[in-house]
Order: sequence, then C-alpha cells, then structure tokens
Amino acid sequence: MKNTENKKSTVRVFSTESCPFCVALKDFLKDNKIEFEDIDVSDNEAAQKEMIDKSGQMGVPVVEIDGQIVVGFDQDKIKSLLKI
Amino acid sequence: MYDLIIIGGGPAGITAGIYAARKKLNTLLITKEWGGQIIDASEVENWPGTQKISGLDLTNQMKEHLNNFELEKKEGREVINLEKKENFLIRDDKKEEYEAKTVLIATGKIPRSLDIPGEKEFKGKGLSICSTCDAPMLKDKDVAIIGGGNVGFNMALDLSKYANKIYVLEFLEKTQGDELLKEKLEKTGKVEIYTNVAVKEIKGSQFVESLVYENRDGGENKELKVQGVFVAIGMMTKAGFAEGLVELNKEGEIMIDKDNNTKTQGLFAAGDITDVKYEQIVIAASEGAKATLSAHDYLKKL
Repeated sequence: MKNTENKKSTVRVFSTESCPFCVALKDFLKDNKIEFEDIDVSDNEAAQKEMIDKSGQMGVPVVEIDGQIVVGFDQDKIKSLLKI
Repeated sequence: MYDLIIIGGGPAGITAGIYAARKKLNTLLITKEWGGQIIDASEVENWPGTQKISGLDLTNQMKEHLNNFELEKKEGREVINLEKKENFLIRDDKKEEYEAKTVLIATGKIPRSLDIPGEKEFKGKGLSICSTCDAPMLKDKDVAIIGGGNVGFNMALDLSKYANKIYVLEFLEKTQGDELLKEKLEKTGKVEIYTNVAVKEIKGSQFVESLVYENRDGGENKELKVQGVFVAIGMMTKAGFAEGLVELNKEGEIMIDKDNNTKTQGLFAAGDITDVKYEQIVIAASEGAKATLSAHDYLKKL
C-alpha cells in the first residue's frame, strides 16, 4: 500500500446516462472498488453549471478527485490521482 | 523485444490479440481505447451467437475474453511513430518506445474532421461528435448538425429531445439519410434542413456562439446563432504514423493483399483501416485473426 494513512479520496463523476465513455469510466471505478458520487447532469441544471464552471468545457464525463478535475475518461490521470 | 505488437483495440485488434495469445507469441497490444467505432453503437444485431447486444456490452465481452489470455496491454496510448530498422520501432504519445519483429496495424477509422477555423478551439465547448453524450447539455438551446446522412439524422433525433431548434447542414444538393428518418425529424417541428451549403467557421468566446456557412451556388457568408455544433461527416483513417511503410489508397486506407501483408515485410494491417471493401464487426474480427496467422507464419520463417 502506497499511502500508509489510507485516506479515501472523494470522487465525483459528472455524466449523462447514455454516454458510452461515462459508462466505461464508472465501470472502471467500480472494478477498482472506488466509491464515487454519481451525478447525472441531464436533468440537473445546477450540476451542469458546476461542471462547466469547474472544467471550463461542456463535454462529459468529468471526474472530480479531491478537488482536481479530469475531463474525459483519461485512465492514466485518474489512476495517478487515485494512486492505484 | 516482442514477436508482435498489435496497434488498436477494436474488433480487429482484440481478435488479433486472442489469436496471438493462443499461438503463444510474445505480444503487446497498444490502444487508445477499447471497442473503436462499436462503443457507441446502440444495438448490434449481426454478431453471430448474440441476437442483440449494445456496442458497449459487446466491447466489454470482447475485452473480458481477451483478458482470459496472457497478453501485455497498454491502454490510453496512441502510437505516433513507427519505423523499421532491423526490427520495428514504435513510439507512443507518452514517449515510450517498443521494439518488435512484426507489427499489426488495426487502428480503424475515426470521425472525419472539418478542418475549419474554430474546430480545435471549441471541441468540448459546444462542438461535439457524440450526441448521446452531450445532447442533454443543450436543453432549450439552438444547435447545428453538420452532415445530412443517417448519422446526422440520428443525432438530430437525439437532440430533438432537448434542443429548441436544430439545423441540419448538408454539403451536397440532397441529404443522404433515409427518408423514414427525415419524416421523423419533420414531425418534431424543430428541424430545419439546409442543403448545398459549406460550413466555413465556428465562432464564439469561451463556448460556441455561432456558425458561419456559405451557399455553394454563391452569395455571401451567413451566420447561424447556435450554442452547439455536432459533426457527422463520415469517417477517416489516421495512418500518418506509418508513413513510408504502407501504401495508401485515395481514401487514405492501407492497401493490403489477401493475407493482410502491407508493402513492408513483417508489417500487417487489418480491419477498417485497410482497403478491404466492407466494414463490419465480423469482418474486422476475421481480418484480425487472418493477420495474426500471417504474422505467425512470417515469424516461423525468420
């Protein structure tokens, strides 16, 4: 184990229901036993605005890991932020 | 040093990987992502053994099948250079280098780009190629779809559930999509189709604000106020990394013989990136298998 304190990361996923890379991203997190908040922006204007403000763009998926923003299903970046 | 490096993780690359593992070739598979074009197919009904399956589920099944085998994989990486000295040398976008005796290119096709000002700047900022992903972000907004084929029509249908107004812009004099879909679009009362127009520029500040087009018969440029632009102008290959080692036809596809050989010995290609006429999942898969068997035969003779 790399992190001796084993502090859990706070992970939030902004996605839409039908987007293939959102599903792939969430499956990846589940496979790695990472707990996350699943935010469907389709019908949630406040969440849409938050995602756009934080990521500076409007494509899904967006992941927030301990305050850091990753746009798209960028596995290497997500792995390094989660230290997995 | 690998016996075989497979570039691509769609049906051709995955099948090639399965065959390579069964032949016990020391293999590396490098891919940007899994599934290729099938990943956003909502329904696949022509893959033998499964009557109906989503593209994402089929991708996951193929991936799981591949994971049963011993095979080294690198994902999230794009190969940017391939050259041949004594062996093949490959470099990826993370600047890692690999060496192999044989290489199989199975990188398929990607959506064709517009090559107009604004395209790069506004990607993800109102410009998209995935209506199933991004349509919900355009609720009550006005959007344009570039391309009046079936893909463009289906995008317009996806968007009609959310957007206020949808313009479909077709370069040719007539749209190419099915009449049935066109009727569905007309029924939504939200869709306007412009034909014989060329899109010139996408404009905005942080996000897309408008699109500039011209009528191909002449006249001045016109501007449409839209907050979203979706591109559906067909597919293209991206074979630049193998320049000099492969012969391309005028569509940019790698020319191969019936055993998947390219013009360079030890370099093979399979699937939609090749000049094989029909582009189907089952055909790409079988081409991947053929190519690996050819590479195996070639390795035996070294």
